[in-house]
Amino acid sequence: MRIGTPKEIFPGENRVAMTPASALQLQKLGYECVIEKGAGAAARFSDQEYKDAGVKVVATAAALYKEADVVAKVRPPEDVEIKRLKEGQTLISFFYPAQNTELMEAANKKGAHVIAMDMVPRISRAQKMDALSSMANIAGYRAVMEAGNNFGRFFTGQITAAGKVPPAKVLVVGAGVAGLAAIGAATSLGAVVYAFDVRPEVAEQIESMGAEFVYLDFEEEQTDGAETGGYAAPSSPEFREKQLAKFRELAPEMDIVITTALIPGRDAPKLWLADMVELQKPGSVVVDLAAERGGNCDLTVADEKVMSDNDVTIIGYTDLPSRMAAQSSTLYATNIRHMMTDLTPKKDGKLKHDMKDDVIRGATATHKGKITFPPPPPKVAAIAAQPKETVKEPTREELIAAEKEAFKKETRNQVTLLAIGGGLILLAGLYAPASFMQHFIVFVLSVFIGFQVIWNVSHSLHTPLMAVTNAISSIIILGALMQIGSGSFLVIILAALSVFMAGINIFGGFLVTRRMLAMFQKS
Amino acid sequence: MDFGFTTAAYVVSAVLFILSLGGLSGQESAKRAVWYGIVGMGLAVFATIIGPGSGLWLLSVVLIAAGGYIGYQVAQKVQMTEMPQLVAAMHSLVGLAAVFVGFIAHIELNRVMGMDAETRKALDGFAGLLAKKEGVEISILRVELFLGIFIGAVTFTGSVIAYGKLAGKVNTTAEKLPGGHMLNAGAAAISVLCLFWYCNTGGFLPLAIMTLAALFIGYHLIMGIGGADMPVVVSMLNSYSGWAAAAIGFSLGNDLLIVVGALVGSSGAILSYIMCKAMNRSFISVILGGFGGTTGPAMEIEGEMVATDVNTVAAQLEDADSVVIIPGYGMAVAQAQQSVSELVRRLRDKGKNVRFAIHPVAGRLPGHMNVLLAEAKVPYDIVLEMDEINDDFPETDVAIVIGSNDIVNPAAQEDPNSPIAGMPVLECWKAKSVIVSKRGQGTGYSGIENPLFFKENTRMLYGDAKASLDQLLQSIN
Repeated sequence: MRIGTPKEIFPGENRVAMTPASALQLQKLGYECVIEKGAGAAARFSDQEYKDAGVKVVATAAALYKEADVVAKVRPPEDVEIKRLKEGQTLISFFYPAQNTELMEAANKKGAHVIAMDMVPRISRAQKMDALSSMANIAGYRAVMEAGNNFGRFFTGQITAAGKVPPAKVLVVGAGVAGLAAIGAATSLGAVVYAFDVRPEVAEQIESMGAEFVYLDFEEEQTDGAETGGYAAPSSPEFREKQLAKFRELAPEMDIVITTALIPGRDAPKLWLADMVELQKPGSVVVDLAAERGGNCDLTVADEKVMSDNDVTIIGYTDLPSRMAAQSSTLYATNIRHMMTDLTPKKDGKLKHDMKDDVIRGATATHKGKITFPPPPPKVAAIAAQPKETVKEPTREELIAAEKEAFKKETRNQVTLLAIGGGLILLAGLYAPASFMQHFIVFVLSVFIGFQVIWNVSHSLHTPLMAVTNAISSIIILGALMQIGSGSFLVIILAALSVFMAGINIFGGFLVTRRMLAMFQKS
Repeated sequence: MDFGFTTAAYVVSAVLFILSLGGLSGQESAKRAVWYGIVGMGLAVFATIIGPGSGLWLLSVVLIAAGGYIGYQVAQKVQMTEMPQLVAAMHSLVGLAAVFVGFIAHIELNRVMGMDAETRKALDGFAGLLAKKEGVEISILRVELFLGIFIGAVTFTGSVIAYGKLAGKVNTTAEKLPGGHMLNAGAAAISVLCLFWYCNTGGFLPLAIMTLAALFIGYHLIMGIGGADMPVVVSMLNSYSGWAAAAIGFSLGNDLLIVVGALVGSSGAILSYIMCKAMNRSFISVILGGFGGTTGPAMEIEGEMVATDVNTVAAQLEDADSVVIIPGYGMAVAQAQQSVSELVRRLRDKGKNVRFAIHPVAGRLPGHMNVLLAEAKVPYDIVLEMDEINDDFPETDVAIVIGSNDIVNPAAQEDPNSPIAGMPVLECWKAKSVIVSKRGQGTGYSGIENPLFFKENTRMLYGDAKASLDQLLQSIN
């Protein structure tokens, strides 16, 4: 089958859904790849590179839609693209079926199967095709870059001959993928980063990225993020008030504010109000990653950079991933490639749309003339691990008691063993002759010494230990040597054989031990 | 030379042997310790040859020299990966020698018993020693040499089979004849009957029957034990060879034999104990072979195995600051230790913290991995034991698992129904990412799935360990 990628027709969209690298991987799955002329140009992938990777380049979008069995693109299709779809064709792209109901119906009427990359369920197995996350990651990074571009100072604090520079203070609101990426980028530039999220369970992630979690002093039954598929749920009015008060407290200090708060299926919550912008120092920057959905900041204008009255820059670009088209295309193309891998279980170039597979089912918006959106909730629910039941720490008294108990038990065991062992030996002594007991004492003491000595042998030397004990167990040669001189021919033969074998063992054992030990070297 | 000198020499030898074993507590002192052992052995042999009771010393010296030459050749040529086989083969020699010495004692005893009192007094040497015994002492002597022969025979066939399994000449899976352990029990019962028979009659027949039974026990017992339990088997045989020597020492009335036999016997016993503990299994269950049944349905494994390739791994290693490598028997099979060592050298040159984590039962011999790594010139101070390194995994960037499986199985901790539940394992899954170099998707020795391979942070690098590592080396320089 053929996979085709057209040029994106949305104005300003630079990304492309297939890269030369992903094309090579797709061909390994057994597909042929087709691309529209100039599709990768905006992301710096030339037609020649595609040709070198074995991709067929076609001149027009119309020709591409005609040739391809699977169409992979970035943006949701425009009306003109819907018209080009044909019966049985599979379309893989961002689709936002909840918002684009008409588009979905139009595609369904055409008989196309639509796989929406934005609907990939957020479960571990599907992470490799989670395009929303990979795009959000880029957006978070780029947000910091845009902020730095519009911010007149260093991120990192420095003490130079020309004076002291304080580090920039960055507040990240919403610690989803984009927020965490922004935290990572800002901390690695040297800024002091604070982060806030309504889900308390992400505090650990925030701190692991090197930012400080802004705690709210608020008691409320928090819904677990895992129940809402890893996304934030709307919060109560009281909580919101408390949150805004905290932001007002922070606003005068913050040089850069990056807001990423989104709630699925709703407009972005207003969190950075006009009065907070007023409290900020001139020259500060607000980057609003929720601009497409109305913005977290009151003053945000989508796709534009605006200045407030007190010279605070508010950036509302919605095309941040597209601004890093080479990077985002690479990641998105990989997401698409992973999706195709799952759709091609036999790697034979034949697409198998398995509606029983949770991931594929979740992402499918239309299939075989039916609208399959919304999907049933995924069977595998766990995303954030449920908080483990904490094991009760034993108190000090309990610990001491347990220790005492263990000590007593050990003493009991030891005494019992000694008593039994001693009893047995005494019993043997009653019956056995003195000459035997003399040897027996030697034996018992040797076993005892052996146990004491061997416990100290280090683990790494166990093989040499075996070789050396092997060599010295050839001490049996003494027995043979004592016997060889006395008695019959048969005795001599047997003794001679024993001496011979023990001789092999003595030399072999010691020499191989020496060889091994010589190899152990300190660095 | 009189008897006093020989005894004195024996005392010195015994002290040297103890020091020799004690010296193995550290790598540096071990190099000295092996010389103590050699000197002790030399002294003991010398004292015995010139001491009372021995004759034909020229023949003895020639035989020792001939045996020594073969031993020297073997020690020089043996590959470090073949150490388990070599150790097993050597055990079999000790076992056989013990059987022979026991037989000789029996023959001599009967010869001496047949003489009249006058001739007995004229005897010297070993026969003279026997001549002085009477009544209970003779019975005890019979028990002792009977035991010596029994243990020696078990050691002999057991070691031969262990050698075959380790060298790949005998099928390594656990196999039993129909009847299973009842056969062993039967053979043991026959041996006990023979013991009474022999004590009462002193004839050769019970001794011969017992020897055959013991040979069978050795063969059948070890046939029933699978590949990965070999560390326990080899150390157990080590222990047996010691007890055989001790039993013979009793029958010959030679204290040095008793001392050394006891030392070796307890050493092997401790090693077996350590190995069993590391697998969280009782010694009995290892010897009876196979893993116990599960106590309930195994936990379901979620996720999938994700393959990776050499370039990705190379990039991961470039980015990592701390790397822990967990070698297993697979590394020895693929002879990959040199490549591993080269990889470690290059990574260390880049200033990365690279260490090894060794599980007590990794490989087919106690301490097997340490010797292989030492051979490949990996410095021993970066080779750590399980307990030393287990807490460091959360701070580790990349953990590389080379040819090990059960010793890194998280089911041991997470799934109470798993057959290996409770076995101490290397917690490599706590590292940020884990790379598993493995030939295919199969399970390990225990035959159970390893959830490690399905973890989110695990990537599978399929293929022969050595080939994969050599490719990896091309990408890292």
